[in-house]
Amino acid sequence: MAGDIRPDWWSKTSAGAILGLGLALSLTGLYAYLAPGGIDAPGGRYSLMRFLEAFVWIAVFGFCFLFRSGRAAWVWLGAANLIAFAALFACRFHFFA
Amino acid sequence: MIRSDILRLYKTVHTWTGISCGFALFIAFYAGALTMFKEPVARWASPPAVGVAAVPLDDALRLLELVAAAHPQAREEGIKLHLRGHENEPARVTWEEDAPHQPGQPHDHVHWWATLKPDGTLLAQPEEPSELADFINEIHMSVGIPQAAGLPLMGLVSLLYGVALIAGVIVLLPTLVKDFFALRVGKNLKRMWLDAHNVVGITALPFHLVMAITAIALCWKGELWSAQEVVIFGARQEILMDRDNGPFEVPKPIGEAAAMMAPAQLLQRLEEQVPDLQPSFLVFKNFGDSAAAVRVPGAERGHVGDTHLGGVMLSAVTGEVIKDGALPSRQDPDRRAAETLYGLHTGQYEGLTIKWAYFFLGLAGAWLFYTGNLLWIETRRKKARDGTAVAQSRSARLLGSATVGVCLGCVAGLSLTIVAAKWLHGRVVDLNHWHAVVYYVVFLASVAWAFAFGAARAAVHLLCLSAAATMAIPLTTLMALLFPALGMWAHDSAATIGVDVVAFIGALCFAWMAAATLRRTRNGPADSVWSIRRPGKAATTSDSIPVPAEPA
Repeated sequence: MAGDIRPDWWSKTSAGAILGLGLALSLTGLYAYLAPGGIDAPGGRYSLMRFLEAFVWIAVFGFCFLFRSGRAAWVWLGAANLIAFAALFACRFHFFA
Repeated sequence: MIRSDILRLYKTVHTWTGISCGFALFIAFYAGALTMFKEPVARWASPPAVGVAAVPLDDALRLLELVAAAHPQAREEGIKLHLRGHENEPARVTWEEDAPHQPGQPHDHVHWWATLKPDGTLLAQPEEPSELADFINEIHMSVGIPQAAGLPLMGLVSLLYGVALIAGVIVLLPTLVKDFFALRVGKNLKRMWLDAHNVVGITALPFHLVMAITAIALCWKGELWSAQEVVIFGARQEILMDRDNGPFEVPKPIGEAAAMMAPAQLLQRLEEQVPDLQPSFLVFKNFGDSAAAVRVPGAERGHVGDTHLGGVMLSAVTGEVIKDGALPSRQDPDRRAAETLYGLHTGQYEGLTIKWAYFFLGLAGAWLFYTGNLLWIETRRKKARDGTAVAQSRSARLLGSATVGVCLGCVAGLSLTIVAAKWLHGRVVDLNHWHAVVYYVVFLASVAWAFAFGAARAAVHLLCLSAAATMAIPLTTLMALLFPALGMWAHDSAATIGVDVVAFIGALCFAWMAAATLRRTRNGPADSVWSIRRPGKAATTSDSIPVPAEPA
């Protein structure tokens, strides 16, 4: 293990706030499309979405300071966002063609 | 074992998220604790009225028919039929109508109530009910900042609060087992406050996590809606919203008249079909139409849920259940999860036991944020060495003043605005407006006072004010009993007497804190923002007396 993790306050905080929200929205969106019943499932899935978003956002924001540096936070969370959003848009065009 | 660099980093995260949110969270939690008894407070503040008992349930159908005939708008908006006989139910039926609307002004409502005169004819009157309990809830939701700005702000506060919780737990983890059962009362004041802060924080952690998550979702409702619209749904969100609202949607009127089922019979049909639902009230929509419906919100035994919106919908003609998608036991898993989270935020389950538990958890939460600020100050405290005088840093003095002013200003302001419900009733035109005036004047004056007199002196003054303001709640009720000429009232239900009793005990607690704080300011170590003695001057008597810091 090489050296201490760097604080990098601004870059880590911005990564947690922005990319955390991105992950929150994309993962919740994937849940809305792919959970049993899909996007057309009757019932209250819609009401649950905001709570799921808040949960993911807090978790990513809270733990993002564990990244070795602000750069690492942006790279890893950015990559996770790219994958999640790619999957989300694929779902969106598949189900709402 | 967690590396020390991680611990150091998260300690900084915890400190700065905590200190930036502490004030807002104190107000949200203190006012939130009071909203657990929203109903008793509303009953306490409601003036004597005709009441539900004036029209027996068996005569209610006739009353509904008369209201529907004389007030066509009520049929559309929904006529509320009260069942419980609480003091905040002005009569057997109430409804809202649109107020005359001026362009550019927000739409307003006029509240009506109606009863039967002894000769069996209709008596209907517009009268604004006390909105005291709603005002307390508003302070809880947006800490007294107008909602357009206050709600987004509280969303941000809740997000940082969630981060602070994670950071706080990470910092505490390595020493959790050692520290958890320890409350080291003694000379090391910082140690004692830290132990107390930790034990309260860790034991209530699940409660706080739920609050942080749900508060973000509730505060940023509109913002998250827009974000979902853009990235998840691509302008198709309306379809899902409509589906989501299905269980609450009222059938459209057909336009042909039909005989309505009597309320007593409706309740009997409800009991047969949904025995575990305890109805709070009934709302008749499109009364008289053959598609008329009755919304029956209420608590379902053994379930967490929204007791205001949940429940079932009956046909007003046959009493058959026509919609039960909002009933906890018949919800799909997603709605159940969503509603459980909401119910966990609002404490809507298992009745009075949970209400009391939430009341104390809320007060403990407010205390947690207060001690967080104290620890910040104590960490930066400059200790006197060899009897030489030291001045505390400017930031510590200012944070001390702000903590005392904001927290105690909120406490005293809320107590006095509750008192105002009885004293100002009938003496001012718009009492609901005055609730806000009283609260803001007391709150802002307290903050100004705290900065003017410093944390130590102001803490004693404002604790005395809080004790007096809170004691005024039961005293007002007592005065109403002793001097009927004052035009006030004293209800005799257990719930409203409970408000007086809790306020009485609360006032004693504030008085005790004031006495302890006074002792601390006089006898405690002088090298602190909590001392009124000139630093260094009285070192001969001070440091030998181990008085625990008791700022509030």
